[in-house]
Amino acid sequence: MSSWLPTNPSSRRWLGLAPTYLVIGIFMLFPMIIMGTYSFMEANPYGGVKPVFSTAAYIQLAWEYDLDNTLIFNPGYLKIIWRSIELSVMATVICLIFGFPVAYYITLQPENRRNFYIYLITIPFWTNLLIRTFAWIIILGRNGVIELPLLSLGIIEKSLGMMYSDGAIAIGLTYSYLPLMVLPIYASLEKLDFRLLEAASDLYASRLAIMTKIVIPLSKPGIIAGCILVFIPCLGAFIAPNLLGGGKKLMLGSLVQFQFASARNWPFGSALSMLMLAVVVIVLILYARGAKKSTAGEKATES
Amino acid sequence: MSDKLSPSTKGRKILPVGHYRGLGVWNVAFLFFLYMPIAVLIFYSFNANRMVMLWGGFSFKWYIKAFNNTAIQDAVINSLIVAFFATVLSTAIATVGALVLARGGNFRGKTMSLGLITLPLMVPEIVTAVAMLIFFAAIGLNWGLGNVIIAHVTFCIPFAFMPIRARLEGMDTTLEQASRDLYASEWETFRFITVPLLMPGIIAGAMLAFVISMDDFIITLMVSGAGSTTLPVYIYSMIRRGLSPEINAVSTLLLLFSITIVTAYWVVSKKTQTKTVH
Amino acid sequence: MAATAINILEVSKVYNPGSHQALKALDSVSLAIHDNEFFTLLGPSGCGKTTLLRLIAGFEQVTGGEILLFEQGIENLEPSQRPVNTVFQHYALFPHMTVAQNVAFGLERLKKPKDEIVNTVNRVLALVKLTELADRRPNQMSGGQQQRVALARALAPSPKVLLLDEPLSALDLKLRQAMREELKQLQRETGITFVFVTHDQAEALAMSDRIAVMSNGEIQQIGSPTDIYEHPVNRFVADFIGDTNFIDAEIISIKDDLVSCRIGENTVFEAEDSGNHRVGDRVTLFLRPEKITLVADAQMVNGESHRGSVTNIVYLGNQALLTVDLGSGIELTAQSRPREDGNLPFAMGDSLFVEFSKRALRVLAE
Repeated sequence: MSSWLPTNPSSRRWLGLAPTYLVIGIFMLFPMIIMGTYSFMEANPYGGVKPVFSTAAYIQLAWEYDLDNTLIFNPGYLKIIWRSIELSVMATVICLIFGFPVAYYITLQPENRRNFYIYLITIPFWTNLLIRTFAWIIILGRNGVIELPLLSLGIIEKSLGMMYSDGAIAIGLTYSYLPLMVLPIYASLEKLDFRLLEAASDLYASRLAIMTKIVIPLSKPGIIAGCILVFIPCLGAFIAPNLLGGGKKLMLGSLVQFQFASARNWPFGSALSMLMLAVVVIVLILYARGAKKSTAGEKATES
Repeated sequence: MSDKLSPSTKGRKILPVGHYRGLGVWNVAFLFFLYMPIAVLIFYSFNANRMVMLWGGFSFKWYIKAFNNTAIQDAVINSLIVAFFATVLSTAIATVGALVLARGGNFRGKTMSLGLITLPLMVPEIVTAVAMLIFFAAIGLNWGLGNVIIAHVTFCIPFAFMPIRARLEGMDTTLEQASRDLYASEWETFRFITVPLLMPGIIAGAMLAFVISMDDFIITLMVSGAGSTTLPVYIYSMIRRGLSPEINAVSTLLLLFSITIVTAYWVVSKKTQTKTVH
Repeated sequence: MAATAINILEVSKVYNPGSHQALKALDSVSLAIHDNEFFTLLGPSGCGKTTLLRLIAGFEQVTGGEILLFEQGIENLEPSQRPVNTVFQHYALFPHMTVAQNVAFGLERLKKPKDEIVNTVNRVLALVKLTELADRRPNQMSGGQQQRVALARALAPSPKVLLLDEPLSALDLKLRQAMREELKQLQRETGITFVFVTHDQAEALAMSDRIAVMSNGEIQQIGSPTDIYEHPVNRFVADFIGDTNFIDAEIISIKDDLVSCRIGENTVFEAEDSGNHRVGDRVTLFLRPEKITLVADAQMVNGESHRGSVTNIVYLGNQALLTVDLGSGIELTAQSRPREDGNLPFAMGDSLFVEFSKRALRVLAE
């Protein structure tokens, strides 16, 4: 059977990797390149693009033509981009504050309990995000789970109007990606040597100092990984702003989807996507540089 | 230094170093926050009242309605077909890829290959969705469900890849050395030693890919056309049309389905971890 | 009269009390450690010595009994409130801090003024001879260097008591022996009370002012190295420290502190008894191999001299251990030095005389 497999290990390797390269190359990388070229074309009002070079899509990000065909500054889309960044940062911070103690708590548990907690935390992550976000409509909506008892008890008179707000979106985003913050932090904390905590206490560190001077610095890799894993999906989120923000509160994700649905402005949608890609690439490069610096520091010292 | 000897916790039990009060409560609050929406969802699926939020009594009628809804039936079948093919193909591709990356040593292009195989994880879903939509339109590929399957295979590869690679890295290579020592050929070693030992990892990877495919929404939304609606996409259209407990019912069923598979995955992984591969 | 630094009063420690996995690590242990002394807790693993150390440091709580630090109770004090510092077995150096930062850590937590911290860190690093490595990270150093950083870090806050948990066990032999000297020197210079935990009896004998030998959560004997070595109270201590010959015997007559004992059927030895034994008691005699002289012809006049034959030789380089069969079921191990040419004076099967003074052979108190 092994006769038709090339014996050269190098050829074997590329044979094994070929399907991966083919599939992801053709159906992901190549499309992204096409998307990039589309962002420099003119929009076709019937959908798709006209193969004419144009930077109109990128100009549209910040400017628009008024009646005289002069360019005037239009902050509309920039506001959406800014809101996306704001909400993503907010969600990331809330996830961090909420999730770090949980990751720490799990580390303190005995082995078998730990697995159970990790299981509990990952389950929601593997279920459909649309459904989980939909549940928040029922919770936050008018006469929803929160409002109904408050209304009937007379604590409030009319609807709090929690839905269709930035706050609702923030809650939705936080809820969507919480497990992604907890797991990398837990992975970092798991490697923590608890004798270091004892040493710190032995050297007169208060319980707060132990946390700030020892635990948190040593779990920095996990914290950073968690923040990236939450921030990037939040930036491109579609479901939370779409379901919980109504048509008014757009984020990058829903704005992009809109371009390919009713707005039929494929170049603009492509341009926005390229923008998101650019942010992701920058974040990942910074992360890789930071990671390389710290491992290089450690390697140079292993003498 | 003597002032340091004054006890601060008079008579209270001292917690071991590293423990803090209130962590347990925080954890419970966290889990509550995590599961409360799911509970609400399931709870209101039994609401006899059509207005989702006003409770009108306990009823199974929405489940019955959902089961009899032909559109839902079609969506479920589409989802299963897509998930099946996506799982088989992505797991196969991921398996050979993992074998190379975990066992191939350090070769030029290893990092790049690793980056490529995990690319779908790093790119925001909406970007992937847009790119694929543009691609299919640009080359004029209109295979209906086939388009969806192609998209799913692509983004399921990294999810199948991770458990398989983890399993490979945890495997003891001396077993394969022993097999060669006992006159087995490369293929025989692969067939009788490597594959059986790797199987739990492959199954775990397949399960993950299956769940991811069943649950995918945004990519499927943008890539699917009429007639190739999957369940999550159909649920979305239901939501747009207006709230009804029927949505809760369908959602609960999909939820339970996913949870079952993930639990099975968990059980398989834990069992194979304790059955240490020496 | 030296002040008592640490008073251990009937301290017990049980893990998982009440369950069927309850583990009694310490059973009503009492001892007093004097100020300025180098005190060692010595015993095999599992004897409770590390548990006792951790109780003093504050990482565990006692299940019964009390620990006093300079006459004051410390039960309710967290580790960060006790003026006691620990040198951990695997050093527990903070990997994300430099050597200097590690050493300064305790002083910073105590809110000492900046310049005082700098001076102390420099002084202490000089004490352990690590001044040039102040800006290195722990993982950039050898085991021996890390050990000294751990030491410096624990000394910097000028604790009243320094606890050392088998600090030399991870080092190789030569380094260990060199560190023994340094630690002993350090203790003499600083005058801090050292509580040292080890399972290495040679180490304990070399460094300590007093030793507490422990086994199974109980203290077997407390005394100076000489006391422990020359007058072990029971079989465990005699066996654990150094090499020993044991002989079972029955006392047949007593004269002051010398007893005559019958071994086996006919043999009679005379031995020194510091315990209060009576005629007819069954006792264990012990004899250190180095107190035995091996000669070809009987020489000793006022001691024991018995004929025997060599049944085993173990060559150790600077000496050999010979097993000599004296008949009546008595086998003794003795030392023999090689001659100038490297050959041993005796060979297997040789007949020789085993000689030792009466007072070298002793009766175990218990």
